[in-house]
Amino acid sequence: MSILKKGKGAFAGGGLVLFNDVQEAMKAERVLKRAEYPVRLVAPPPELRRGCDLAVEINLVEQPGIERLLKRSDVGYVEVKPLKGSDAGILEIVRVTDFGDWLMVKAANMKLTFEKQSGKIVNTSGGGCPDIPYLHAEMLDKRVDEAPHPADIGYTLCALMLDRALEESRSLWEGGEGA
Amino acid sequence: MMLIAGTVPIRDMPLTFGEASAGGDYLLVEGWRIPQTQGTGAMISAALATTGYLKTEASRVLLAGDIGQGRGSREIYEYLIQNIARLSPEVLALHYWLPDMAQTRRLCEAIEKCDRRTVLIADASSMYSAKAAGLAPFFDVFCPDTAEMAFLADLDATHPAYVRFMLFNDMERVPELVKAAYQRKNAAKLMLVKGAVDYIVKDGEVLATVNEPDVPAMEAIGGTGDIITGMISAFVYAGLEPHEAAIIAARANRMAGKMAGVTPANRVNQVINRFPDVFKQYLCQWSGVCTTGGVE
Repeated sequence: MSILKKGKGAFAGGGLVLFNDVQEAMKAERVLKRAEYPVRLVAPPPELRRGCDLAVEINLVEQPGIERLLKRSDVGYVEVKPLKGSDAGILEIVRVTDFGDWLMVKAANMKLTFEKQSGKIVNTSGGGCPDIPYLHAEMLDKRVDEAPHPADIGYTLCALMLDRALEESRSLWEGGEGA
Repeated sequence: MMLIAGTVPIRDMPLTFGEASAGGDYLLVEGWRIPQTQGTGAMISAALATTGYLKTEASRVLLAGDIGQGRGSREIYEYLIQNIARLSPEVLALHYWLPDMAQTRRLCEAIEKCDRRTVLIADASSMYSAKAAGLAPFFDVFCPDTAEMAFLADLDATHPAYVRFMLFNDMERVPELVKAAYQRKNAAKLMLVKGAVDYIVKDGEVLATVNEPDVPAMEAIGGTGDIITGMISAFVYAGLEPHEAAIIAARANRMAGKMAGVTPANRVNQVINRFPDVFKQYLCQWSGVCTTGGVE
């Protein structure tokens, strides 16, 4: 049997935005649709219910851009959770590799490398979301404490992981561990 | 035809189908200048360097501007879904785009209806959407790094940011994760797992490992994974089996990095520029491809 026969549903975004009340959920749907995000109102499963019987299903990869838009639009929401493995949170751990004159900071699938002496970002790598090459160009050759935050100008979970790597790099640089 | 599809970081670039050519630090496609520093641009550059050496037909490309908002990605999905039967490429390599499970499913359904079975290669977020949609076994080649391997092995995660267990170059754990990914049907038929040691895995069995030359700085350089996928695509199009293409690409990437003497501050085009020298010196020895003009 073809693997494709297992398919179901026209939209499977993998993430839910949870709300305390129905009005906010409906407002969120309007705001997100206006911004061309593919979303739909759904009933959250019991283990994810936070106060109201409506949630907005989103493409989980777009979580950072969606949360930013909801905050800017003054839409109150409780949190964003993955539909599957809902106990899993966003990865917090980072790993640092010392290349002598450079440090590489890795967060999940994203890596940021900066020069110890100057704090200058010399490379970003990893990921695969469409905002990553854009962020690469925006961040390259800037100091870690002056570079734009991927969480502010990116849209995807890859950008969020790159933001984690930048935060750690800043902390290392400002703590003097770089030089 | 070989076709590479993906997004590029040019905000206003419309959906564009055409041929790519090298233009200094950029790729030229239908009058657009595409940065080759990372992502789809790097992948195409590597494929061009390979087809150029082999004297095989250059890849066609399907590109759209997208900086993360998804519009260009949706245009690529829709174009492929509507046109893949007509285009019927021998090799289709999918790369950067906003992962969308429903669209990926529609695309696979369209591919399944094609008269000719295309060799389907996915890297970057096209690999994420294939896994998240439960369609990984439909694909012929995936090229994950170790972090992405942990994602493929994870039962539930729809993105590497949500994996329960992360692998940071702990290469001893790779076979265990490979096994889990195949058991959970989250793996392509062939996978090249990129890391300090590169694993070439077919249907769950490790066929080969590549660990020489060891050039640790390559991990820091944006695009060094993308160019491996570009090479694999071109070698498969030239007639090599996917596992042969993966082994050669892994070796060539490392050797090009060594020849270029890269540091973590270098750019990926410094590696790509070494490919012709690497092929000239080693391709015959590694593969039996001793004449240019395709694989005999």
